[in-house]
Amino acid sequence: MTASFFDFIAAVAVALLTRRPPLLASLEESYRIGVKSLPILLVISTFAGTNLAVQGHDAFAPLGGQHLVGMFVALAGVREMAPLLVAAMVAAKAGTEMASQIAVMRIRQQIDALEVMAIDPHWLLVVPRLLGIVLVLPALTMISIFVFLAAAWAVAVAQLGLNGHAFLALATDVTEPKDLLACAIKALCFGVVICVASCFHGFSSRPGPDGVGRATNAAVVTSAVLCAAVNYVLSELLYG
Amino acid sequence: MSNGAAIRIERLCKRFGEHVVLDDVSFDIPRGRTTVILGPSGTGKSVLLKHIVGLIEPESGHVWVGDVDMAHASERQKQAVRRRFGMLFQDGALFDSLTAGENVAFPLKFHTNLDEDGRRARATAALARVELPDAYDRPTASLSGGQRKRVGLARAIVLEPEVILFDEPNSGLDPLTSDTIDALIVRMKAELGITFVVITHDIVSAVRIADVIGMLHGGHLVAFGSVDAVLRSREDIVRRFFARNITLPDPT
Repeated sequence: MTASFFDFIAAVAVALLTRRPPLLASLEESYRIGVKSLPILLVISTFAGTNLAVQGHDAFAPLGGQHLVGMFVALAGVREMAPLLVAAMVAAKAGTEMASQIAVMRIRQQIDALEVMAIDPHWLLVVPRLLGIVLVLPALTMISIFVFLAAAWAVAVAQLGLNGHAFLALATDVTEPKDLLACAIKALCFGVVICVASCFHGFSSRPGPDGVGRATNAAVVTSAVLCAAVNYVLSELLYG
Repeated sequence: MSNGAAIRIERLCKRFGEHVVLDDVSFDIPRGRTTVILGPSGTGKSVLLKHIVGLIEPESGHVWVGDVDMAHASERQKQAVRRRFGMLFQDGALFDSLTAGENVAFPLKFHTNLDEDGRRARATAALARVELPDAYDRPTASLSGGQRKRVGLARAIVLEPEVILFDEPNSGLDPLTSDTIDALIVRMKAELGITFVVITHDIVSAVRIADVIGMLHGGHLVAFGSVDAVLRSREDIVRRFFARNITLPDPT
């Protein structure tokens, strides 16, 4: 399994580096991933923002530090929660779709057919999805950050009675451009992880509906575990 | 490799875990003729076919296509050889998101400089050869089992290959549609004059379309030769396999 995973990565790398990438197909993938993931992402980001504001307030208020909620939300949201949240949503929506689509192609011998037609299936099926997700994930993460902070601000002002200006001032004070850049880097890495893990499980699918189900399940589990691990490493490198 | 052989299988061995699928199998597939590989289910026929196109690698042995050993070739070499092959898969392996004609035109997009009109014309001509001249715009989902096979065959021939491989061309078809597919294979062979390799367990079909028959059993090639020679084989397993399949019951 491990050997075939690295063989798969090598095959994708060769396909990516030795042939002109299918740009139109990549843009279509970007659009599809973005459009499909955006609604759920907006909902989840909104409630993550509101909850973090409430929890931050409950934690800081007994110490007289409720005005720090803006800083807390910005730090936790921008640096950790938003990129992971987006990765989880995209893994659940787009990653599972990649895995199941490719798994069905595998069990219907369509991938074998591509190989016999001397068409590299890694180039045709994985490269557009990889470029597509890498293009769209940083953008989705920025949208998520905006929605997350806006929802937290709305709850802080309307429900918790905090000063909106003070909230924003502290939030913007602790959020530097390099934080957004770090976020984009994380999103990019998560995109690679989700696509490679999902497509690998699709390519490795066993026959039958059970095989497709297992591939889809393995794709989301592997993506989640790898994204969490990569997030830790990147946080150490970028903020450590 | 002699000039008469399109493909040479040499001492091929393949196992999956403890299960030996192919055990020291050797034979030549003659150029320009139809070779049918027969055998009961699970005897490694499809595995043999996958070795020929380099989709799986053997434990040992060689699969020579010209000067290239598909068992040990690089991916680039395999792709060059596959460019000379066409293959009909069991269920056609058609792409459901494309129409019948787009499926046939699909390899042309990657291996020719034809524009869209050119690809359409060539795919339509290939569809006409398999007696589906008006099927270009038909959704793949609307095709019957026999039509899917014919569209798959049109895709296999559209790049004018030197060798066409058929994986169970009659599986899942009713007897009448099977007869149509057999007749189509015989006619295509006469028209194209290229090498056909057919994997099947259908004896009636095999006898109808084959120039040469090989029979796999228990990982071994237990018979190989002209149709007549194989039918006269003294091997017990061969006689039992054929007798069971081509002796029709008394209708009275």
